[in-house]
Amino acid sequence: MALLELEEVRAGYGPTSVLHGVSLSVPEGQIVSLLGANGAGKTTTLRSITGGVHWTGDIRFAGRSLRRMHTEDVVRCGIAHVPEGRGILTELTVDENLKLGSHLRRDGAAVRKDYDRVFEYFPVLRERRGLSASTLSGGEQQMLALARAFLMKPRLMLLDEPSLGLAPLIVRAIFEIIRTINTEDRVAVLLVEQNARLALEMSSDAYVLEVGRVAVSGTSSELKGNDAVRRSYLGY
Amino acid sequence: MQELLQQIVSGIATGGIFASLALALVLIYNAMGLVNFAQGEMAMLATFVALALIDHGMNYWIAFPVTLVIAFAGGIAIERVVIRPVERAPILTLVIITLGLATLINGLAGFIFGYVPRAFPSPFSVQTVNILGALASYQDLGVIAVSGVVLLAIYMLLQHTTVGLTMRAAAHHPEASRLLGVHVSWMLALGWGLASAVGSVSGIMVAPILLLQPNMMQTIIIYAFAAAVLGGIESPLGAVVGGVIVGVTVNLAGVYLPFVGGDLQLAVALAIIVGVLVLKPNGLFGRPSVRRV
Ligand SMILES: Nc1ncnc2c1ncn2[C@@H]1O[C@H](COP(=O)(O)OP(=O)(O)O)[C@@H](O)[C@H]1O
Ligand SMILES: [Mg+2]
Repeated sequence: MALLELEEVRAGYGPTSVLHGVSLSVPEGQIVSLLGANGAGKTTTLRSITGGVHWTGDIRFAGRSLRRMHTEDVVRCGIAHVPEGRGILTELTVDENLKLGSHLRRDGAAVRKDYDRVFEYFPVLRERRGLSASTLSGGEQQMLALARAFLMKPRLMLLDEPSLGLAPLIVRAIFEIIRTINTEDRVAVLLVEQNARLALEMSSDAYVLEVGRVAVSGTSSELKGNDAVRRSYLGY
Repeated sequence: MQELLQQIVSGIATGGIFASLALALVLIYNAMGLVNFAQGEMAMLATFVALALIDHGMNYWIAFPVTLVIAFAGGIAIERVVIRPVERAPILTLVIITLGLATLINGLAGFIFGYVPRAFPSPFSVQTVNILGALASYQDLGVIAVSGVVLLAIYMLLQHTTVGLTMRAAAHHPEASRLLGVHVSWMLALGWGLASAVGSVSGIMVAPILLLQPNMMQTIIIYAFAAAVLGGIESPLGAVVGGVIVGVTVNLAGVYLPFVGGDLQLAVALAIIVGVLVLKPNGLFGRPSVRRV
C-alpha cells in the first residue's frame, strides 16, 4: 500500500473547478514527480492534500482518509508542505522559523541532532540564525523552507517548485539535499517541478498533469525515454 | 524641578495603566487586524469581579491573580462564542460586533452592580517617599511596579516561549502557520484571553483612583487608543512606550498648561491620536504597513 494515495480528486476555487479527477500515489520512501505546464493544477493538487482547498474524491495518508481534516491536523500526521512561495514567516527570525518546524516534536535529543544536520547541510542558516528571515535571499529562503520541513520529521514532503527563480548552482545544491534527506531518512517526496529534466533525474515515478487531469504517468525512466511524451508534455 | 519630577513619576504610573490596556488592544489587533472596542468594558467587568472577591474576604494579592485567570477564561469564552462564528466576516462587521459587545457588557455591569461608584481598595498607601529629592507616592510606585511586572511577563511569554512564538506566527502569517501545524484559530482565542487578562490589570489599577462604576473605563480606553496609535498599533513594545508617553504628557499638560487643566486632558489624548495618524500613521514602532486584508 502506498503512503499517499489520491483517488479521483476533484477540487477548485469557488465555482472554478481545477482538478477533474486526479489519481496518483506516492510509495513509502520514494520520490515522485508531479509535472505539467503552468496552470495545470499542480499547486492545487498539493493544496488539496493539506486541506488548503475544498476537494472531493479521496485522499489517504498511511491508510487513513484525510477527508474533512483541517490543514494543521493533516500536517501533524507527518506531511510537511513547502508551499508555492515557500511559506517563510518573514516577520520572524531564521531561528524562529526553524523552531516552528520542530515545535510539535517531543524527542528533544533527536531534535538537537537534526538541527546539527540542518546546519551541516545549510551552514548559511547557522550564520543567519538571529536575523529576520526577510533578509535572506531567494535561495536562502528556499533552504530555510526545506530545513524547516526537515525539522518537522515528516514521512512525506510536498515540495512546490523548489527550483523556482533560483540560480542553477543553488538548485543543484538544494536538490542534492532533497536526495540526501530522502535516502538517509526514508522521507517520501512529492515533487512539483517546472524543470522536468531535473525532477525526472531524482524521482522513481512521475505524473504529468494537463488541465486538471493526469495525462501521462509511469516510471521516471520510461517518461525520460519516451520522445513523444518528452516533446508534447515535458518541453525539452 | 522637584515638582516636575513628581509629576513625571505620577505620569509614568498613569502611563502604566494606559499601557496595559493599550497592550491588550495591540494583542487583538495583531491577531486579527481588529480594534476591540469592548476592551475597556471587559476590563471594567473584571474589576467588578476583583471587587466581589475582595468583598468576600479574599486577600488583595490572591484576588488579583485569580481575577486575571477569570478574565483570561472570559476572553477565550468571548472569542469562541461571539467572534469565532464571524471570524471570516469583513472587518467592519467585527468592529460593530465589538461595539455591541461593549454596550452589552456595560449594560450588564450596570444591571448587576448598579451605577453608584464604589470605592476600590489599593494595596499601596498614598504616603510619599523621597527618591533623589523628588517625592513619589507609594501608590504611584506600586502601580508602576505592578504594570511593569505584568508587561514584562507578557513580553517574556510572547518572545521566549513556544506558545508565544506560535501566537506571533499565527497573527502574522496564518496560512503558513497552519502548514506548520499551528492551530491558528486557537491562537486567536488565546490572544483574546491574554488581552482580556492584561486589560483587566488596567481596570484594577485605576479603580482606586476613579472609583469603580460601569463607565469607569470609557475615558481610559481613549488614552489607551492614543497610546496604541502612538506606539504603532501593531507593536507591543510601542503600546508600552506609547502608554508611558501619553501618561506623562497628559499629566504634565494638566498641571502646567493652565488652559488644559483637568478637564481638557482627554482632548490632549485625542490630539495625539489625530496628530499621529496624520503625521506618522505607523506610529513610533510600527512598520510601514503592507497588510493582509
Ligand atoms: N486562488 C485561486 N483562485 C482561483 N483560481 C485559481 C487560484 N489559484 C489557482 N487558480 C487557477 O487554477 C488553475 C490551476 O492553478 P495551479 O494549481 O496553481 O497550477 P500550477 O501549480 O500547475 O501552475 C489555474 O487556471 C489557476 O488560474
Ligand atoms: Mg504552481
